[in-house]
Amino acid sequence: MLKQVLYEIESAQGPVNLDALGRKLNIDRSALDGMIQFWVRKGRLQIQDQPQAETAAVCGGACRINCAGPQSCPFVMHLPLTYYLNPAPDEGEE
Amino acid sequence: MDININLPEPHFLMTSSVQPRLQIQYSPEVEREITCVLSAIVAASPQLAATYNPRWLAIQLLEGDEPLLAELQAAAGGPTVMQTLADSLARLREIYGEDIDVTLADSRYNFVHQLVSQTVTRAPDASAGWSDRADKIFTHRYVGIPIFLLVMWIVFKTTTDVATPYLDWVDTIVSGPISRQTIALLEVLGLGGGWMESLLVDGVIAGVGGVLVFVPVLMSLYLVLAILEDSGYMARAAFVMDYFMGKLGLHGKSFLPLIVGFGCTVPALYATRTLENERDRILTGLLVPFMSCGARLPVYVLFAAIFFPRHAGLVIFGIYLFGILMAVLLGLLLRQTLFKKGEALPLLMEFPPYRMPTLKNIWHYVWERTSAFIHNATTVILAASIVIWLLMAIPIRGNGTFAETDLSDSAFVTLAQTVAPAMSLQGFGNWEAGGALVTGLVAKEVVISTLAQVYNVADTDTETEPVSLGEDALFVVTSFTEATLDTLKSVPLIIGINLFEDDGADTNSDLKQAIRQGFQQSSGGHGSLAALAFMVFVLLYTPCMASLAAERHELGAKWMWFSVVGQLALAWLMSMLVFQVGLLLGWG
Repeated sequence: MLKQVLYEIESAQGPVNLDALGRKLNIDRSALDGMIQFWVRKGRLQIQDQPQAETAAVCGGACRINCAGPQSCPFVMHLPLTYYLNPAPDEGEE
Repeated sequence: MDININLPEPHFLMTSSVQPRLQIQYSPEVEREITCVLSAIVAASPQLAATYNPRWLAIQLLEGDEPLLAELQAAAGGPTVMQTLADSLARLREIYGEDIDVTLADSRYNFVHQLVSQTVTRAPDASAGWSDRADKIFTHRYVGIPIFLLVMWIVFKTTTDVATPYLDWVDTIVSGPISRQTIALLEVLGLGGGWMESLLVDGVIAGVGGVLVFVPVLMSLYLVLAILEDSGYMARAAFVMDYFMGKLGLHGKSFLPLIVGFGCTVPALYATRTLENERDRILTGLLVPFMSCGARLPVYVLFAAIFFPRHAGLVIFGIYLFGILMAVLLGLLLRQTLFKKGEALPLLMEFPPYRMPTLKNIWHYVWERTSAFIHNATTVILAASIVIWLLMAIPIRGNGTFAETDLSDSAFVTLAQTVAPAMSLQGFGNWEAGGALVTGLVAKEVVISTLAQVYNVADTDTETEPVSLGEDALFVVTSFTEATLDTLKSVPLIIGINLFEDDGADTNSDLKQAIRQGFQQSSGGHGSLAALAFMVFVLLYTPCMASLAAERHELGAKWMWFSVVGQLALAWLMSMLVFQVGLLLGWG
């Protein structure tokens, strides 16, 4: 089941919706979240929830707006919980 | 959600001291090694066997639990167990590679999944069914993108049609009561008629006011985007865009900076640092500037209103699409040349539930972004307007004096005329357009303020009777009421229903007429085509100084200059093609 989740993600021809993945594998969403977290701990998945907000804060108001922190940049779109698949360890870059 | 649990007959359950009621069975190879390690623990380390359930401990050690391994190392008999453990792991690695812990965890998940499948029934969730059906449509890999484009078209149609009455109202107020009362105040202070009046009216009010006129347009844009984001749709749109990015060979993470680029290029460039792969990061950073930022929208709105009044929304939408198209083509080209390696990796996203947008969230969204635009107008654009006014006030030739010189003898025109000939093939080879494009390097909104300053025709010259402050205040209120009513009448325009009487040229201001005349002259009578080429140039050339600083910081000086030269060359080439091909085809 755990490997099947990773296989479905690796073989997907595009982005994957977590709810749709759970329905396809007939896995309860809470169980799927646990499996996702397992692969995050293994390093195969990388969680990314608010990275753009963090980087926008680093720009230090370069766009001439008073930047009070990651949540204050008005141009950053705050997207929901997002994960990215990292390459398998044996597929490291040349 | 109702859950009914029907437990089967009790099986063994492993605890430290009671008989097991439920036991997960692993593969025969794993069970054999569990037994080996378990036996070693019981024989060599009775203390640990008494503290922990031996089978549980054996499984944890095989999974590499570090705290337990450390405890085993220190325990009596630990080295013996460690040797047995190492032998077991070596045998398991021959079968499963390095994924022993994955294999064990996978077995447990399979067991639980089978147990739940046999014992748990759930009532269907009606709201989830509706949401799922909607997501099947909105995130469909073939239908999702046309739906997204349709939604964006509605966004721009709303922005251009519905915001126009308020845009005209602000324009009337800036060029009317604000200018009049400023002049009156200066006369009271004894500063009327001199360079101070010229600086404030022809510099600050014309420049900054020319940009603030577009606040209603941006508020309208941000309002619609706020509704889309708060409703939960934008997450689906980002999901669809990621599929599209993958087809271009871009990393799934690339779509986040590109999406941010539609608001502002600077944070979008800084967002590229989330891409660990340097090639993906640089490639994304080179494409971000082609996502037309909000600062360019006033330029499109102004020119579309002047030259394409009946199809302004469609033209602006087309400009945005053209920017995306250029980014796609450039991305494909760079992928085949400078950035050959790398692959798009899948993205997983949790969709937020669809919900009715709240007024609080929408207001917060609109105000945050609009105030950023206004803040920019009162800082950078104010400074730029003053500098441009100074350049227009300094005489280079002729007999004029400071602030009393003919515009054609000023430093600004002298500088702008060095650039203008380069744009002759584009149809806008006049110094006004060339000067505006140069000042637009400071910030794209400065293009508007520069045009407002160089084409400035004092409306107050046509006033024959002085207007009191009270009369102007009343005019502000009554004209605002009329603009509000016109805005309500504009809403059906989104679906093509026109409730206005056809009064064509009445909405044309002196500025719009001056720009139209200037472009007609410079293009040999093909003003519309030249205007389209101008918008394409604004779309493609360097965004602003702040974006250059961000590019240098994130991509390095080499790639920054590559981007600058490339964008200028592409802008010049594409705008030239738009004009020349249009001439050949008999358009404009």
